[in-house]
Amino acid sequence: MKDVAGFVNQSIEKLMKDIEGTAIIACSGGVDSTTAAALVNTAIGERLVTVFVDTGYLRKGESERVQELLKGMGLNLHFVDASDEFYKALRGVTDPERKRKIIGGMFIKVFEREAEKVDADTLIQGTIAPDWIESGGQLRDVIKSHHNVGGLPEEMKMRLVEPLRDLYKDEVRKVARHLGLEIAERQPFPGPGLAVRVLGEATRERTTVLREACAIVEEEIEQAAERGDCEIPWQYFAVLLPVKSVGVRGDVRSYGETIVVRAVGSLDGMTASASPIPHPVLERIGIRITNTTPEVVRVVYDVTHKPPGTIEWE
Amino acid sequence: MDIRIDVVDNGGQWTHREWRMLRDLGIDSEIIPNTTAAAEITADGLVLSGGAPRISSDIPKLGLTDKYLDEVQIPVLAICVGHQYMAIHFGGEAGPARVPEYGKAEIIITEPDDLFKGLPERFTIWVSHNDEVTRLPEGFINLAYSRDCAVQAMKHEERPLYGVQFHPEVEHTEYHYEIFTNFIEAVTGSNP
Repeated sequence: MKDVAGFVNQSIEKLMKDIEGTAIIACSGGVDSTTAAALVNTAIGERLVTVFVDTGYLRKGESERVQELLKGMGLNLHFVDASDEFYKALRGVTDPERKRKIIGGMFIKVFEREAEKVDADTLIQGTIAPDWIESGGQLRDVIKSHHNVGGLPEEMKMRLVEPLRDLYKDEVRKVARHLGLEIAERQPFPGPGLAVRVLGEATRERTTVLREACAIVEEEIEQAAERGDCEIPWQYFAVLLPVKSVGVRGDVRSYGETIVVRAVGSLDGMTASASPIPHPVLERIGIRITNTTPEVVRVVYDVTHKPPGTIEWE
Repeated sequence: MDIRIDVVDNGGQWTHREWRMLRDLGIDSEIIPNTTAAAEITADGLVLSGGAPRISSDIPKLGLTDKYLDEVQIPVLAICVGHQYMAIHFGGEAGPARVPEYGKAEIIITEPDDLFKGLPERFTIWVSHNDEVTRLPEGFINLAYSRDCAVQAMKHEERPLYGVQFHPEVEHTEYHYEIFTNFIEAVTGSNP
């Protein structure tokens, strides 16, 4: 995108024309939905209600951080803690596509509930190009159902508006920078959250294990990048596998979970290369995770590019 | 002059990237279904996208691609399954790859003057294919190969028809903009 200012002005003009009544925006505090919120807020101001849902699958401290951020942007924020509902809906579910569809459906359920409260007839989403591309359609194979596409019911009660639909992440970042948003450089985080990083059943307990591991991976890689030991990857996180292995701790046998460290370089998420994280950084991640998380026995590093892998494991 | 290059969608993950690449380079472009009638093609050039269809069993899914090669006399850049289709259409062969390639590979350019003008002899490409061109059609020149794929790129000897097995539209392929710019020049050159 060459003319960022032009895109912003045209979008705002179009949104002003398109949205008549009250609208709600599904906002996670990530780059896409927060940028969409800022655009729509400029266009229709108080008629926009920003809904942020704690699904129970957010990262460490994220719920508080995002609420603060969205309030700081002057948005009319409605916070919903739906974590119990989400955990319940995913009980016993292990198939990745079912997980994603259930989460997408749960989001819509929550948004429709919130919309009714404020009498909104428009739902705004921060959907970007890879979301609908990978969700399949006509000739295109389903790679993974993105939460904002795959969970949509056939007959939506609300009208859907997606101002960033044709953009890729690098372009959304340009828009975010233009609007002066502090989230412009945040790493991407999947809409279904940690649920697609806990392979197998995403219970509250297993999610807690992964949340800690994820925080360690983020912290160590960010510190390494600050020291100049490596470039900051496009995305870096932990995945919890449904695979147990044997270990030994203090002369005692242990038998527990496996964490995968994933870090990739990309521009738009459509292709990605495994990042060359320096070995001492990986080693330190391994030591910290196994020493502080008794459930985890083993930590491994993923060296797969996209394709043939995808960035997230599910 | 202002030219337009449309992208024919064969259901690829990167169809929209091809559109983006053209847009980034200032070229007017639209994504059109592969069932668009040849008579309705008004662009100055076409990109045929890749896609999930397998060349040995799913040719009907490629719609009217044959018409775009026969009835519309404009430059074409055919990618992945589009490239395989082009080979078969002109009398070559395509089928399951002996060694499928996914992700990173190295291309070795043997004909540097056209689609790869100004580029080094070897560079990194990004690939994702189960099938490949197994015999070059007559009247075509092989432009490049990789360790596991003999025909990474080809060109018709007389018409501006190009086929590439790899994906010049993705960020991880080196010199992606340069390859598209060379194709755009071929389009401009045939629309004086």
